[in-house]
Amino acid sequence: MIVRSRWFSVGLALTLSCGVTAAACAADNRTPADSNAVAAEVDRLILTDLRHSGVNPVDRCNDADFLRRTTLDITGQLPSPRDVTIFSLDPDADKRQVLIEQLLQSPEYGKNWARYWRDVVYMPATENRARIAQADFETWMADKLNSGAGWNRIVTAMLTATGDVHEHPETALLIAQGAQPAEVAAEACRIFLGIQMQCANCHDHPSDVWKRNQFHELAAYFPRIAVRQTRQPLAFEIASVDADRGRGFFFRENPEQFVRFNDRNGDGKVTKDEMRDRAAQAPGGSIPAQLRDRIFEQGDTNKDGALTAEEIKSMPVPNQARRGSTEHYMPDLNDPASKGKLIQPKFFVDDSSPGQGLSDEGRRAAVAESFTSRKNPWFARAIVNRIWAEFLGEGFYMPIDDMGPTRTARFPEAIDALAKGFVSNDHDIRWLVRTIAMTQTYQRKVAAKPVAEDALPFAAVTPTRLRADLVFNSLFQVLGINEDSNEGRDAMGGPRAYQREPRFQFDFLFGVDPSVPKDDITGNVPQSLYLMNSNALRAALTANNNTRLGKILRENKHENDALGELYLLVLAREPSKHEIEICQTYIKDVGLRGEAYEDLMWSLLNSSEFLSKR
Amino acid sequence: MSAFSWHEDVTLHRQSVSRRGFLYGTSAAAAAGAFNFHDVMSAQAADLRKQGRAMILLFMQGGPSQLETFDPKPGTDSGGPTKAISTAAPGIQIAEGWEETAKQMQDIAVIRSMTNKEGQHDRAVYQMHTGYIPSGSIKHPALGCNLAHELSHAERELPAVVSIGNGRAAGIGGSGAGFLGVDYEPFHVANPGKLPENVAMTVNESRFKRRLGLLDKLEGEFASQGGATVVENHRRITDKSSKLVLSPLTKTFDLSHESAATRESYGNTDFGRGCLLARRLVESGVTFVEVRLGNWDTHQDNFDAVKGLARQCDPALAALIADLKQRGLFDKTLIVWTGEFGRTPRVNPRTGRDHWPRNFNALLAGGGVKGGQVIGETSKDGTSLVKDPVSVPDLFCSICKSLEVNPSKENMSPLGRPMKIVDGGKPVDGLFA
Repeated sequence: MIVRSRWFSVGLALTLSCGVTAAACAADNRTPADSNAVAAEVDRLILTDLRHSGVNPVDRCNDADFLRRTTLDITGQLPSPRDVTIFSLDPDADKRQVLIEQLLQSPEYGKNWARYWRDVVYMPATENRARIAQADFETWMADKLNSGAGWNRIVTAMLTATGDVHEHPETALLIAQGAQPAEVAAEACRIFLGIQMQCANCHDHPSDVWKRNQFHELAAYFPRIAVRQTRQPLAFEIASVDADRGRGFFFRENPEQFVRFNDRNGDGKVTKDEMRDRAAQAPGGSIPAQLRDRIFEQGDTNKDGALTAEEIKSMPVPNQARRGSTEHYMPDLNDPASKGKLIQPKFFVDDSSPGQGLSDEGRRAAVAESFTSRKNPWFARAIVNRIWAEFLGEGFYMPIDDMGPTRTARFPEAIDALAKGFVSNDHDIRWLVRTIAMTQTYQRKVAAKPVAEDALPFAAVTPTRLRADLVFNSLFQVLGINEDSNEGRDAMGGPRAYQREPRFQFDFLFGVDPSVPKDDITGNVPQSLYLMNSNALRAALTANNNTRLGKILRENKHENDALGELYLLVLAREPSKHEIEICQTYIKDVGLRGEAYEDLMWSLLNSSEFLSKR
Repeated sequence: MSAFSWHEDVTLHRQSVSRRGFLYGTSAAAAAGAFNFHDVMSAQAADLRKQGRAMILLFMQGGPSQLETFDPKPGTDSGGPTKAISTAAPGIQIAEGWEETAKQMQDIAVIRSMTNKEGQHDRAVYQMHTGYIPSGSIKHPALGCNLAHELSHAERELPAVVSIGNGRAAGIGGSGAGFLGVDYEPFHVANPGKLPENVAMTVNESRFKRRLGLLDKLEGEFASQGGATVVENHRRITDKSSKLVLSPLTKTFDLSHESAATRESYGNTDFGRGCLLARRLVESGVTFVEVRLGNWDTHQDNFDAVKGLARQCDPALAALIADLKQRGLFDKTLIVWTGEFGRTPRVNPRTGRDHWPRNFNALLAGGGVKGGQVIGETSKDGTSLVKDPVSVPDLFCSICKSLEVNPSKENMSPLGRPMKIVDGGKPVDGLFA
């Protein structure tokens, strides 16, 4: 209780100014906050504001809805008909809390959220080849989440990663952005801090307080990462490039030295053979044959088969003059071809600076430290807002990854109460999920969002569309198809085998970047056509001896029983009286039991409820 | 329910966009259902001429060699063994292997001075589709989707944008609708000549309709339990899909309606069938069609490989021009042939050519473009541009000019950043008579 009252005041102060309350934060952070107490506090804060605005929250949802919603949100699965029956009949007053705990301890929890993060990282990738490691990333993230690693440690690993993308899949974000400093900085900032800085890449941010050079100071933490091809086909690694000049750039930086170094016969010129001979000792790594050919093609203007320092100097400036440099340069907008202005790393939130000339390891350790610091309010706020939005259908800030300093949160004290509790529990994501799921706000019925633009959310849960993996899990579960069976899968291996997995192909059709506001996700025609007409579903929808539907019909001679089972299977609830009437009439009109049930199951699978959170 | 429209769920975007205090362009407001079809047509009466305009992009994925296509350098080291042939346009020579295209040269403008900086496939493909370099924070709409956003009718049974070819690689970088949303997302046809995936019903038509009726009734429960908005959105998309499934226009995808001679002229290849389908789609009102031909990344055995590719591309390209002309569609349909970059003038030790964005080719035909001319010139050895460089934005502005779309029109990105259809550039004036 003491803890609770203290949040209230500190939470409020935090929203006004972060710096002032830093000391208070640190003191408070040491006592891990209790999940139920924080949930109650969040509810109280939200209710107070709702009542102030004259909004009445809707009722608590029923057990079947809660079971389906929570199971999908935490483990990505649809509860089985048996789960629904047992949960509904369980007299335990704390059964919702017990369920949440069970789901959090299931390995499916980590798997489900690993897939969520896979989409967050890879959907906006500018380097598509990064996807070769996405299965490894999923496994890595699932392990981290299931083992209870703190979010600060997970993010630190992702920001400081090096090595082969398969062996070190925590390189995911770096490789997805091609290890380009500005892109990595923008994405890391957006995903982990909820702040969109990339507009400041080219100009001072039009609506935020950040300046262009602050964005480039953030990028200056990342100039020494490089993507390199490894010996395996289609394999890459993230490397630190601390040796001054990456491969291939040495010759441009220091033409005289380059010529001296390679010129074996002392004629003041370098031939290809000479370059090849010295390749092993070349500073910054050897230049591959293809690049060597290109250098000669561009540089050897008199076509004598040899390069002079003069020829190198007169070569056109490559289009990525700044790439491969060990320092970050802010492009000169008036002269984009020039090298630009040297920028040192500095963290825009607190203006802290790690110093100059740091190694890649030093820079990225520093940026990870700054990102995940308890003094950086954006770090906890971003993940709280993101996970809250996934559960409730809408965030405190919308869009979830654009919280910026000039945006205002709805219920700012509630998000800060969650953020503080999360930090005091060592950035434990399970704690956060548990707390959110325990709020009465989450346990309300679904209702359409208010139409008015400034209306407060969270008087009800928004019925949003399920993510692709959740629809895939639901479909396979309902139809009784085993994802790991070899059915419909080819035996070809190779680095792109993952693209032939049924889940990958399904995600390809149904996948949406999870950072996109749920309002904007309505499905599309190809998805709808898939559910209506795909051959993959057709067989499983047939009422014969081999299918779930056939079994339901065999085991339930009375239509009410059969309909009950069908609804439990597909929608994880009993049908209403009205629905039973519609179905009974339909069965009678069609006249053929099997055919009528095939149509019923088809309709339920094509219904909006099957695809939505309820 | 009003007539079938692919635009309807723009309304869904509108809410979130306007919540952030920004407005979509006026055409989106019209498309969003603020007016009915008749109103839209009268409101845009002045622009009616635009409505018949369409574009077909023939995209040579991998980066076609300019030296083995439309900028041959016979008798030089760069040129390799490739010979040049004369064309129907006096003074214009192209590479051997393109004999059918040569016959149509009076209707083709060759740009030999395309120039760019991106030498990496993904990034260059993205740029050649969107006009922008890739960025993690924003998915730019492809030019084709922008054109459809500007030009396509709100009322239509077929999608506004169709992409054909390349099997499962449906979404090559930058070919999507980006922030324009699902209404302008390309509809993918993996195997031209067959119905697209999942368009064919798995039960007979009367049972399909019966199922739709049942679905509609069963949706009532969720609608009454708080899901009304979701149910309504879902119903719109189900309507669109089922109307496509039941539409007589799906026969557009069936090439057996064409005469044997016509099919023959395009060539018995997937690319040929793709081009024939493109013509049928444009005829049925589709605004933008992309047909892709892959395997142009000829790091090895460039000369043999390009010969094989030309055998697929040459007859199809020529037939497409002739066919559109014969059907009176040529003047309003712009054909653009290009790839993501060119290839090195120097032949590498594996008789291949490597990536070369400095100068490469594009062909434009139809859509008011003056044929029988060459834009730009490269040096004797093909390693540099001698005159009239054409940047990617220049090419895009030229396309916009042909289609009578304002390239400076701004659409709002989700973050409220206005994005021009084309950023910079200017049309190549000589292209138009």
